Amino acid sequence: MPSREMTMAEALRDAMRLAMREDPRVFLLGEDIGIPGGFGGGFTVTLGLSEEFGHERVMDTPISEIAIVGAAVGAAMVGMRPIAEMQYGDFVFCAMDQVVNQAAKMRYMSNGQVSVPMVLRLPVGATRRGAQHAQSTEAYFMHTPGLKVVCPSNPYDAKGLLLAAIWDDDPVVFLEHKLLYGGKGGRKEKTSLDPVALVPEEAYTLPLGSLAIRREGTDITVLANMLMVHRAMQAAAELAQAGISAEVIDVRCLAPLDWDMLIASVRKTNRVLIVEEDNLTGGWGAEVAARLGELAFDHLDAPIRRIAAPDVPVPTAPALENAYLPHAERITEVVREMVGR
Amino acid sequence: MIFDVVMPALGATGGDVTIQEWLVQPGQRVEAGTPLVVVETDKATVEVEAFRAGYVRELLAKPGDAVSIGAVVARLTDSMEALTETPVAPLPSTRSTREHESTEVKASAGKLGVSKLPAKASASNRLIPDDATEISADLLLSMFRQMVLIRRFEDHLYQLFLQGLVPGTLHQSQGQEAIAVGVCAALRRDDVIFSTHRPVAHVIAKGGSVNAIAAELWGKATGCARGKGGQMHLTDVAVGVMPTNAIVGANVPIATGAALGFRLMGTDRVAVSFFGDGAVNTGAMHEGVNLAAVKDAPVIFVCENNQYAASTHISHNLRIATIAERAKAYGIPGFTVDGMDVVAVYESARAAVARARRGEGPTLLEYTCYRYMGHSRGDPGNYRSKQEMAEWRSRDPIPKCRALLLNDFGQDERTLDEIEAECQAEVEAAVAFAMSSHEPAPEEALRNAYTTWPEVFYAQP
Repeated sequence: MPSREMTMAEALRDAMRLAMREDPRVFLLGEDIGIPGGFGGGFTVTLGLSEEFGHERVMDTPISEIAIVGAAVGAAMVGMRPIAEMQYGDFVFCAMDQVVNQAAKMRYMSNGQVSVPMVLRLPVGATRRGAQHAQSTEAYFMHTPGLKVVCPSNPYDAKGLLLAAIWDDDPVVFLEHKLLYGGKGGRKEKTSLDPVALVPEEAYTLPLGSLAIRREGTDITVLANMLMVHRAMQAAAELAQAGISAEVIDVRCLAPLDWDMLIASVRKTNRVLIVEEDNLTGGWGAEVAARLGELAFDHLDAPIRRIAAPDVPVPTAPALENAYLPHAERITEVVREMVGR
Repeated sequence: MIFDVVMPALGATGGDVTIQEWLVQPGQRVEAGTPLVVVETDKATVEVEAFRAGYVRELLAKPGDAVSIGAVVARLTDSMEALTETPVAPLPSTRSTREHESTEVKASAGKLGVSKLPAKASASNRLIPDDATEISADLLLSMFRQMVLIRRFEDHLYQLFLQGLVPGTLHQSQGQEAIAVGVCAALRRDDVIFSTHRPVAHVIAKGGSVNAIAAELWGKATGCARGKGGQMHLTDVAVGVMPTNAIVGANVPIATGAALGFRLMGTDRVAVSFFGDGAVNTGAMHEGVNLAAVKDAPVIFVCENNQYAASTHISHNLRIATIAERAKAYGIPGFTVDGMDVVAVYESARAAVARARRGEGPTLLEYTCYRYMGHSRGDPGNYRSKQEMAEWRSRDPIPKCRALLLNDFGQDERTLDEIEAECQAEVEAAVAFAMSSHEPAPEEALRNAYTTWPEVFYAQP
């Protein structure tokens, strides 16, 4: 199938465009997503879509996060497939009732009489904007029954998982890391990584719940998501030169989560390191470590360890943000401690 | 027909208001929104407007009179001929002097226009559509039956609660039946309603199964949600009852989204959000109504102003004269209507529904009413006076509807008695069905959190 190079923003846009062409029930709502002369959402993801689909289906809203999520819940309950966007993931806290009490619980409370097939897109990650435009929020949603949680690390996964999320009949919280979007010109992030990948032009889906082995290895399993996958891969390349074989697994879906695949990797490597940009206490890594401790204890040769952000809000200054985030050097250091080489 | 003009809940204290000046005279033609009377509250001088078009039949209070909230201050008719008919409503409770003179300095005594149409409103924004027709005897009988069914069911539940036989919580709606019934009578089966923690009246009025409601209250496998919902979370999607919501205010943006979905699908279906006076100060209410307004969403916001948010009187929560007045801030029409009169409710809802279907956007309907029971089980309502309760009960919507049927619609006592007996039998059968149904199997607790979830991922250690 024909492919072309896409950034993550382009891949996400492509997914939404294809879904909207295929199904009139798919529509977008959020702040600044379709204003003529505007910027296509905070990170250009929806750029050009209002020109193709009009302002009814690319619906600009007031700065009203409760209404954005609430309207998506209501539309989904009557059969639409809304994709709601928070301009920054942190703003979802304004709408937590709609996410946690409404979207997540409607199906259960009605015993399946309604479902809520919506996607909630959240740009996350520290980008020198300070504590209220930076938080990693996945743990809140992984903890909430009724929600599915997806957090891709590259353009190929982003397109396939977003299409799967759109066609899924449950509410999906879809996290996108701001340093991975690939914004251009004035929208480029200063410290961005901006991965580009060959992405099929046609529609495809990746199963929600699936993980991806990014690098096979035998000495240790390193679990990471979003930006941290790239840092883990950098560390794994350095470790290989020291003769240490690290297996890197991209935990691109947190709910559901393919425990069988994690256990299979632990059986092979007998060691687990979890790397997350999230705060340490109660982060997604805490749940993974606890569960693997219960499910795979007999296969572990060392305590499961975590590298995470410290338990403080995200600082703003480059020197402080740099100190706050997990880096490849730290991953290399901890792996060497764990492997003993 | 004759329609009461009831003094809406104005002002911050909920106490009496003083009639300053009548702006209309008997015999005069008025439109919905025509200012009728200027009244003074302890906060402001306010105009009260006609909630429907008609003719002024009589004025029941004179300038200087103190009038209590909910009192009938005037009567309108729908035709010139009816100007001379005999009234059926109870006499108004006006007093010639205030019982307590306040010496407080009046703050912000600006002149407020209550429920004025917004600047962009056109003639088609009028509350009563031009094609308004006489209500039929069949429709009124059907609304009477539904109100009686709800009342009998709620009263029966209360009796069982007192005997300790109701397993869960109970939020009852006696006194508010006319709103549920009048609004739902203006809807089609494929329209949807979003209700609250006090949902029984709405669900029955929209056509929900009483058996399934009762069984859900008793946590049985035959309940509408097999016991996963309970009293506050009733659903009957087949008749347009979306899951009822126990987070105050939350259904306002949700109903707006459903309405936007209906429009995107190219249908003329509408959504209704029911909420109480307690919901109007939530952020969800503000955001949801505003979004509906700027998008002209086909949604009707129905505020049941029963005067109390749990135990807190509305005067503690609101500085403005009426909730309908809020509509002005969103640029949509808003009206205060007597929620104890099922005909007034039906006609106002019908107009708002027609407006939504025409693509003209949302309407805020404030219905003044009273919750006879406490907020929930175990609340004796000690924060309310016996006199206040008696005044509201004297305006009960069911006897009022019954009198209308007898006097104006040629129905006889026997027919109406039979309806009451049938409703009583139906609720008793529903509760017997609920109590004799099976409990859900324990594994039911794990079902339906998700539509699809790979079985392997349920693996527990």
